[in-house]
Amino acid sequence: MTLLSVEDLSVLIRRPGHEVAALSGVHLHVEAGEVVGLVGESGGGKSMVARSVVGLLPAGARATGRVLFDGADVLTMDPAALQAHRGRGAALCFQNPRGALSPTRTVGAQLTDRLRTHRGMDRDRAREVAAELFESVGIRSPRRRLDAYPHELSGGMAQRVMISLATGCAPGLLIADEPTTGLDVTLTGEILNRFRAAANTEGRGVLLISHDLASIAQVCDRVVVLYAGTVVESGPAAQVLGEPAHPYTRALLRSVPDLGGRPVTATPGAMPLLREPPAACPFAPRCAHATGECAAGRPEPAALAADWTAACFHPQTAPLAGTGTRIAERRERASGGGAEPQVVARVRDAHVVYRGRFGGAGHHALRGVSLSVAAGEAVGVVGESGCGKSTLARLMLGLVAPASGGVELAGRPLAEVRGRELRRLRTRAQLVFQDPIGSLSPRRTVADAIAEPLRAAGVGPAERAERVAKALDRMELDRSMLTRRPHELSGGQAQRVGIARALVGEPDLIVFDEPTSALDVTVQAQILEVIAGVARDSARGSVFISHDLATVRGFCDRVVVLYLGRIVEEGPVEQVFGDPRHPYTRALLSGAPSLGDGFAGPRVELTRDLEEAEAGGGCPLAPRCPFATPECREGEPELLAYGGMPGRVACRRVDEIPALLERL
Amino acid sequence: MTKDLRFASSLIVTGSVILAVVVLAALLAPLLTGWGPEEIDPAAPLAAPGGAHLLGTDLNGMDVWSRVLYAARLDLGVAVVAVALAVVAGSLLGLVAGYWGGWADDVLMRVVDVFQAFPTFILALAVAALFGGGTLNLVAVIALVNAPAYARLVRAEVRSIRELPYIEAARTSGAPPWGILWRHVLPNSLTPVRVIAPLNCGWAMLTLAGLSFLGLGVPVPGAEWGAMISLGTADVVAGRWWTSVPPGLFLLVCVLGFSLLGEGLQERADAVRR
Amino acid sequence: MRVLRFLLRRLLQLLPVLLGVVVLTFLLVRVLPGDPIRTILGPNATAEDAAAARARYGLDQPVWRQFLDYLGGLVTGDLGTSIQSGAPVAGELAVRIGPTLELVVIALALALVVATALGIWSARRAGRFGDHTVRIAALVGNSLPEFWLGLVLVLLGYSVLGWAPAPSGRVDPDTDLSLLTGADLLDAALTGNGPAFVSALHHLMLPVLTLAIVIVAPLLRSVRASALEVLASEAYAAAEAHGLRGRLLLRGYLLRATLVRLPALAALVFGFAIGSTVLIEYVFSWQGFGQWALRGLLYRDYPVVQASVLLIALFYVVVFLIADVVHAALDPRVRIS
Repeated sequence: MTLLSVEDLSVLIRRPGHEVAALSGVHLHVEAGEVVGLVGESGGGKSMVARSVVGLLPAGARATGRVLFDGADVLTMDPAALQAHRGRGAALCFQNPRGALSPTRTVGAQLTDRLRTHRGMDRDRAREVAAELFESVGIRSPRRRLDAYPHELSGGMAQRVMISLATGCAPGLLIADEPTTGLDVTLTGEILNRFRAAANTEGRGVLLISHDLASIAQVCDRVVVLYAGTVVESGPAAQVLGEPAHPYTRALLRSVPDLGGRPVTATPGAMPLLREPPAACPFAPRCAHATGECAAGRPEPAALAADWTAACFHPQTAPLAGTGTRIAERRERASGGGAEPQVVARVRDAHVVYRGRFGGAGHHALRGVSLSVAAGEAVGVVGESGCGKSTLARLMLGLVAPASGGVELAGRPLAEVRGRELRRLRTRAQLVFQDPIGSLSPRRTVADAIAEPLRAAGVGPAERAERVAKALDRMELDRSMLTRRPHELSGGQAQRVGIARALVGEPDLIVFDEPTSALDVTVQAQILEVIAGVARDSARGSVFISHDLATVRGFCDRVVVLYLGRIVEEGPVEQVFGDPRHPYTRALLSGAPSLGDGFAGPRVELTRDLEEAEAGGGCPLAPRCPFATPECREGEPELLAYGGMPGRVACRRVDEIPALLERL
Repeated sequence: MTKDLRFASSLIVTGSVILAVVVLAALLAPLLTGWGPEEIDPAAPLAAPGGAHLLGTDLNGMDVWSRVLYAARLDLGVAVVAVALAVVAGSLLGLVAGYWGGWADDVLMRVVDVFQAFPTFILALAVAALFGGGTLNLVAVIALVNAPAYARLVRAEVRSIRELPYIEAARTSGAPPWGILWRHVLPNSLTPVRVIAPLNCGWAMLTLAGLSFLGLGVPVPGAEWGAMISLGTADVVAGRWWTSVPPGLFLLVCVLGFSLLGEGLQERADAVRR
Repeated sequence: MRVLRFLLRRLLQLLPVLLGVVVLTFLLVRVLPGDPIRTILGPNATAEDAAAARARYGLDQPVWRQFLDYLGGLVTGDLGTSIQSGAPVAGELAVRIGPTLELVVIALALALVVATALGIWSARRAGRFGDHTVRIAALVGNSLPEFWLGLVLVLLGYSVLGWAPAPSGRVDPDTDLSLLTGADLLDAALTGNGPAFVSALHHLMLPVLTLAIVIVAPLLRSVRASALEVLASEAYAAAEAHGLRGRLLLRGYLLRATLVRLPALAALVFGFAIGSTVLIEYVFSWQGFGQWALRGLLYRDYPVVQASVLLIALFYVVVFLIADVVHAALDPRVRIS
């Protein structure tokens, strides 16, 4: 019998003044021992499917159709049967494990609560089993951890606890809702493998929900694609992600930047929020292949091959080659200019220390970073969370002061000017923020927000209005936006406003601080296209900060890799991505999930999570580096050029690395 | 969620209607009663309700209905003016202290600490006892004891707003500190004040009436709800309800109006945030 | 041990605040208009009488001298002599605190229990009729003038129905209750005086009810709000999604997480209750601390005013300290070291 079979599931939710069709006629099934990926952008209905399977719909929701689990319909279960089904039949693994663990109860108690409820164990037996479960998900000294409270755990540890909670009662079906969000590259791989193992060795069915197509590609047998609450395509992972038939799946895949530098193609528009089940194809308004037929009726899922269906009147068969302009083109233009380009910003051996609270020890966020950006150049800065990339951005804008070292903008050191003059100089550099809506003042209109730099510069109202309108046009935003306030904007619109504000004063340098990480995949591609256009300007330098290596690859000339506040490797994009010499860079590239072939060449795995590595003297990576020798722990390596290459690396063993990799 | 918003609106509407009716009754008092608030009917002290006196008369032979209506002017007026003063003074102090920090912040917060080491009513009681009663003094006293709370509230709000991305964005745009304070920090920091202020008006009325009840508020012949209740204390034990129940009821309804309004605003803010 | 050290350090931190309060009240009472000697001697006293009286209470000394004397007294537990009654302030105070604390503690305990039960009940029915009723009731409670409510209860309980005692006194004098702590209920229990216990309970009924009704409202609102937050939290959803049920869900995942923020508010409400007792004691002729302090204030009885202000400040900070400890005990995220 099929483990989980969702048949014609529709969910309507009441909202103030209207209804939302969260799901419309969804079909999908999961067999035991199989990992099924559920993908799509936020608002597509992924979480609603997960909630329906455990019978936990939000208030005001009405569900029709059937959710059959082992033949029993979850939607019509009585409360007792439903409680037995939850956790024992199907268990949900929550997206944000820290939030999903009760803060006032020890994690051990939370696990034994579940064991005692579903497996009828007594207190002592439950505790024993709990310790075993903790050990099996890779928690060290499990007995001690049983008495820990959630806030005492690191993010990775909390995710492991969450997995033990979900798998503890041996459910037939495991549902994981975005299980790797916010985790480092190295941890992401490990967690995904655990789900694969749950299917392979324990014979569970796994429904893996993710917006990250690369993760899905790595572990799933089959993939189901949701768009606006409907299933647009479903089938074997290789087919759906390799040669997708539905235009939305294709758009989604083309929007994802790839490590290999495959160009990103943006699809215009955004996912609609449906107020009633769609009568036509919901993707038709954004679809290049749409015809009259698509607007007149809704396509039924049609079989393309065994177990592969697409709900489309015009399924595509052409290979998924990119048609977008390759952003890297501009690089030749910029470097072919002849004269040495002017340096717009320079950071010299800067240290930044954040003062600790209550006089405690401070946090040393940057430790001796030097960087210069020339006009017409795009520099990528990458690293894991906490590596100091955002601090570097704020340093270049004069928002934080260096404890030692200096910053120059437009050839003038920031430390030498004060007051109004400092404010003027600072405006030569502009920042585009990670949180697009949060970076706009909630009570000011879009026109006000964009005009802010002009007002500060003393530009008159008439000219201000004109330049604001021009900036808006450049971002392809409608003039009617001018009177809107931030909460009336979508994430993508708000980010365009943010970029318009950064551009309106014609600065020398624009710093993009993770500008797309808060956005959905197809919107991300749109914004990346806008940013690529901005970066193409030869009068301006840009810095692009990201934890996602693939995004940087698309349009940067140079890359800087940060680790714990230090630059460990820098160089031209091709060099760093093609033949990374620092073990850390290589580990980052090896670990990054990829839709394509991923990182070619010998891979490196770090031996420990960042959270677990104890700090010592010497090279900061030494505790995690597979190549570390006792000398590495003695002195910090300097950032030096190596073997006549254009890049620089801070590794004592840089010359030995190729040989070491051979031996792996 | 729809329900929350609808409930919030009904709270706001009910509260506003109650307050509007009370204000109207206070303004139209001369039309609603033939007796003046301090006019004595020597023939009828402690007359029961009915007849010439709708709600009877008190110990002094003054008409209870008339006094209840006229008292609304004083109680509402003092409370609203005092709270307005407290909001303006407290918010300004909190804004400046929170944005610039440093020694001004330290000094202000220590002063607020000392103020808040006492329950508000006790503080009002002590200050009123020391400065003496009278309408203007009462306004000052109530404003004084409430202002520290606004200073603290706005300061906390400002300190968290100061760290938000949009303030950083304004700084990178080159906006001068005063501009940021005026255009971005101030409008956003007053959000909680909007909710607290109506509730605070209710508390201010209770404080005023409480002070008068103890004889520290409005001097004797003046029509004020707390003082009227106080005058009727002995009557209650004797079973004469009309001298102190009606003013208390009016006070209750009026404070409830403010409470409903404040609760509704709070609820709406929460529903919108979600 | 850790708790003790924490307490000790916090108490030491409190000293400057309390010293500030002492200095401030001492100065304020003397700077402001009004003269205690005039009020006790009456308008007909001669200048000599006044001077003599002044000397008797040390008021002829320079202010700094008076202050040092006062401070010296404080350290040895001598709070001075009441100008009105001529009795030592410390002694008067000792008899007055019991009755007030009895009132406040019983009412607060009652209010906390009711608020917790009703707040959680209401939150679990959010948006339904029962919830709306509870919320409106809490708003009415929040808007009630406590002195008026006391009078209405007297009107109903004593004048109309006749099953409550007259609002005067705290225990029937015929029961021969011997004074130990001043809290009559406690004294009766300690001495095993059954009739006095019943009588004290009888007298406590209305004032406690009055106070409890006005302080339950803010507690109830807070419990309901935090319970709603917990119910909407992902942690609670996770517990539900994993099939936990009934008492386990209520006690393990709702109750403690809900009560985490209550102690701080309870401390604030305690202060509010102290303010309210001044009015409630007045209504019920309850010979407690509030009445005593109020009289001291009205007659400019310096030692009494200073002692009561200091005591309130001390109470307030100690209650907040207790609240901090309880909070730390409830919330594992709070570190007390």
